[in-house]
Amino acid sequence: MRIKIKGEIREIFGKNASRYLRREGRVPANLYGSQAENVSLILDKKDVFQILRSEAGENTIFKVSYNSKTQDVMIKEVQINPVNDELLHVDLILIAMDKEIQVMVPFILTGEAVGVKAEGGFVDFVTREIEIECLPKAIPENIEVDISDLHINQSIKVEEISPPEGANWISDPEAVIAMIHAQAKEEVVVEEEEEEEEVIAEGEEPEVIKKEKDEEKEKGAKKEE
Amino acid sequence: MLMPKKVKHRKQQRGRMKGKPIRGAILVFGEFGLQALEPCWITARQIEAGRIAITRHVKRKGKLWIRVFPWKPITKKPTEVRMGKGKGDPEFWVDVVKPGKILYELEGVSEPLAKEAMRLAANKLSVKTRFITRTIRELR
Repeated sequence: MRIKIKGEIREIFGKNASRYLRREGRVPANLYGSQAENVSLILDKKDVFQILRSEAGENTIFKVSYNSKTQDVMIKEVQINPVNDELLHVDLILIAMDKEIQVMVPFILTGEAVGVKAEGGFVDFVTREIEIECLPKAIPENIEVDISDLHINQSIKVEEISPPEGANWISDPEAVIAMIHAQAKEEVVVEEEEEEEEVIAEGEEPEVIKKEKDEEKEKGAKKEE
Repeated sequence: MLMPKKVKHRKQQRGRMKGKPIRGAILVFGEFGLQALEPCWITARQIEAGRIAITRHVKRKGKLWIRVFPWKPITKKPTEVRMGKGKGDPEFWVDVVKPGKILYELEGVSEPLAKEAMRLAANKLSVKTRFITRTIRELR
């Protein structure tokens, strides 16, 4: 069942008004999309949290109602304060259910790689999400990637897995999704660190990039001498 | 120690540390990270000390990313020198860290090990920090 949330048209703008809204448990939002005018909205924070915590997360398609209108929308961007994790602002984008859209979908690694299990390596999860193009109804929650056959120094690329039904890859097909690295040995480390400590003691100064004019001036001054 | 290879100017003005970071406030590479909660200057020595603390604790397992770089030269006048006669010489290098900036990222180790390694690294820094993971954060 599709989530429905209520919004209000926002008539107060700016820093002061936005802070007031956030204190009241609401959040400023903007709604936009092709062939439609931008609408400034006020949403309830709890409704936004409900959408973000749902299985599809930011890719959830839901209905927002305001001014006796109801529209299919999706979260385009969420602004969060990095220090106290406060929700600051939400951008919503209008979705036409019959038009293909481009969305980011997360990868999920399944299975334990041979390189980790038997050979003592570790998984480097390089590409955690990928951009796909598909109809809004066909957006997958995530894309599962089986890494159980990977040995050390082997990787799996986007081109090696097939896209979900009704979707096409937008991102680079040669992008590495995950790679199995060998764990470094402890003994080698100590030597390397000692070498680096020696470099620290030297205390050099970096080269200063000079413009051509300055260099010419310097040459001219030398000639005069 | 970390330091730029080339610079346009040998000396810089001090500047201010207002506001939030423009970028570098979300985990990009690893599973775990250390996030600064205050504005400060982090010196190249502190960054290096933190890196060594992490690599020693995780026994070189996993992969570490350093998300800060000391691009700013700090000058100092020698002791017992009268004021004036120009700006001092570059003494050390710092990065201007704003609240929310990710300092280190770690991948390929267990969460308790990463947490302890980050705690040891945080002890080397002159800034309040917190340990963060990729799991969904409790938003306010």
